[in-house]
Amino acid sequence: MRPKFLIVFQKELRETLREKRTLALLSLFTLMYPLMLGYLLNQEIKRATKPERDGVEIAVIGASQAPTLISQFKQRSITVKDPGPLDEAGISALLQARTYPAVLRLSDKFGENYAAMRPARIELWYDSADENGKRRRDVEDVLEAYGANVASARLLAHGVSPATLAPIQVQRFDTGTNASRSAVLIGSILGVLFLPVFICGMSTAVDSTAGERERRSMEVLMAQPIRAWELVVGKWLTSATLAIVGVTFELGLAHAILSWLPLEEIGMSWSLNWADLVMVCVATIPLCLFAAGLQVALAMNAKSFKEAQSVLSFVMLVPLIPGVVVSMMELKTATWMYMVPMLSNQTLLREMAKGIDVGALPFVLTFACSALCALLAVGFASWRMKSERYVLSV
Amino acid sequence: MIEVQDVRKQFGTVQALGGVSFSARDGQITALLGPNGAGKTTLLRTLVGLLKRDHGSIAIDGVDPEKDPLAVRRNIGFLTDQFGLYERLSTREYLNYFGELNGMGGPTLKQRIDEVAELLQMDDILERRAKGFSQGQRIKVALARTLLHRPRHLLLDEPSRGLDVMSTRALRHALSALRAEGCCVIMATHVMQEVTQLCDDVIVIAKGHTVAQGSPDELCRRTGIANLEDAFVSLVGTEEGIAA
Repeated sequence: MRPKFLIVFQKELRETLREKRTLALLSLFTLMYPLMLGYLLNQEIKRATKPERDGVEIAVIGASQAPTLISQFKQRSITVKDPGPLDEAGISALLQARTYPAVLRLSDKFGENYAAMRPARIELWYDSADENGKRRRDVEDVLEAYGANVASARLLAHGVSPATLAPIQVQRFDTGTNASRSAVLIGSILGVLFLPVFICGMSTAVDSTAGERERRSMEVLMAQPIRAWELVVGKWLTSATLAIVGVTFELGLAHAILSWLPLEEIGMSWSLNWADLVMVCVATIPLCLFAAGLQVALAMNAKSFKEAQSVLSFVMLVPLIPGVVVSMMELKTATWMYMVPMLSNQTLLREMAKGIDVGALPFVLTFACSALCALLAVGFASWRMKSERYVLSV
Repeated sequence: MIEVQDVRKQFGTVQALGGVSFSARDGQITALLGPNGAGKTTLLRTLVGLLKRDHGSIAIDGVDPEKDPLAVRRNIGFLTDQFGLYERLSTREYLNYFGELNGMGGPTLKQRIDEVAELLQMDDILERRAKGFSQGQRIKVALARTLLHRPRHLLLDEPSRGLDVMSTRALRHALSALRAEGCCVIMATHVMQEVTQLCDDVIVIAKGHTVAQGSPDELCRRTGIANLEDAFVSLVGTEEGIAA
């Protein structure tokens, strides 16, 4: 004879698969999220690689007054267009159209002031809401370099060393490698990558406990020759199975997309191979079991589907908190992080994405701590279902 | 055979059962009569071991439901005041589920489902999903589930509510057949006509106490009232007492 919990499991699974809402949620989170992520990153990459191909194009009003400056722009592969005289509204419209990252306007007296060695004014118009900050800085760099060159030439003409103008020399060194810079971005992505664990099994956990109670079929079920723990385990495994299937598909799809994208272009790395991914998925199974156990334990106490759902959607935010706290306090990766469910999975994946060989301990801790929590949740649910107070309120 | 001796149950300050004693014999249909709130549901839940009694003893074929609830439940068909159907399962799948929970399976279970379906005249809804079933269809499915594993004891909470004339007759037929097979049937009901027609024994409970037990004729004789309904009212107390 088959174990009773398997009978319950099979029935709950069959019922769940007949419900369109659950399946819609499952497919939404397994397909939509990785695809959305891929699309956003792809846009980012496109934007990042664009300037190298096209160069920057800026508009300069009154360009003819400063031929040297214009030629310096050309040397830095910044193309200059003269849109003719424009007023403020015209410049704003030009910037809003996003064709130029910046517009320069040379005053009418530019040439005259320049020749007389008075400060010659150049207006730099830009839109800070635009995301072309990097290209605008290129333009500013050229302007600065041009100004410094002219100043040096003038000082030399007066017999002064241009070095007096540069009491300090700043040299910039960026130690951020592609991988470590990507940690920040990947970290925020990972926070959400494990969310399907809590979403995919939720409606089943609610439906098979609070829903069954609301439809008043729980009492009948409890009067059958079956132990409370067998009922709980059957329902728990159904919900966990959906979470496992959902998150595994989602991680697989996310992995395929992230490995395919040229992430180096935006300073990110995804140094996982399929074997690593399988390890991560296996280490995530107990998290699914824990999530399902927690959801069953909480939902069974709610009197209706709605009540359970609102309780659970609130509780669903809790596992995200450690991840947010760690990234807010900028804590360094430590062993204890592998002992907090959810945070452990995020940390594990983040470290592996950076290409770090984490060793066996993090996997074991991630696996064992979630598994322990899962057992506690299921134990509590079984104890609760056996209690007389629960029977009375069914 | 169900024997109940001075069973009491208290929830906080509320005395749900204050001393219930009766015995329901095999091969008899025993009616459980009592006004709403008399403690019938609590009594039935205690019989299947869902609730623990504070005092007294219960023996179902000699087994105490508190000591071995699974053995007792295997031998009981329990029809609650709720049907407990699953809208996304067909009747056959539903019966399969509960059959398997009761340790049945394979061709035996399939054959038994067909038997029960024939007994309750529900072949037409066997392959349909429960969504949209009428009240009568629902109670038939629930009854089929109750009878499926050939329990020796049946605890039925108002089994005939919502049934049309034909189905009521089918139900009565089925219950008579079970009685002939030697089953012990306890049936909570509010329909006096059913009691006089069908039941061999009547237990009257009020406010958590057994007030009387005996055949319908005996109850009438004891109260000196010819009509069972009036006899019941006089046993339970005044009409005003019931309303309050």
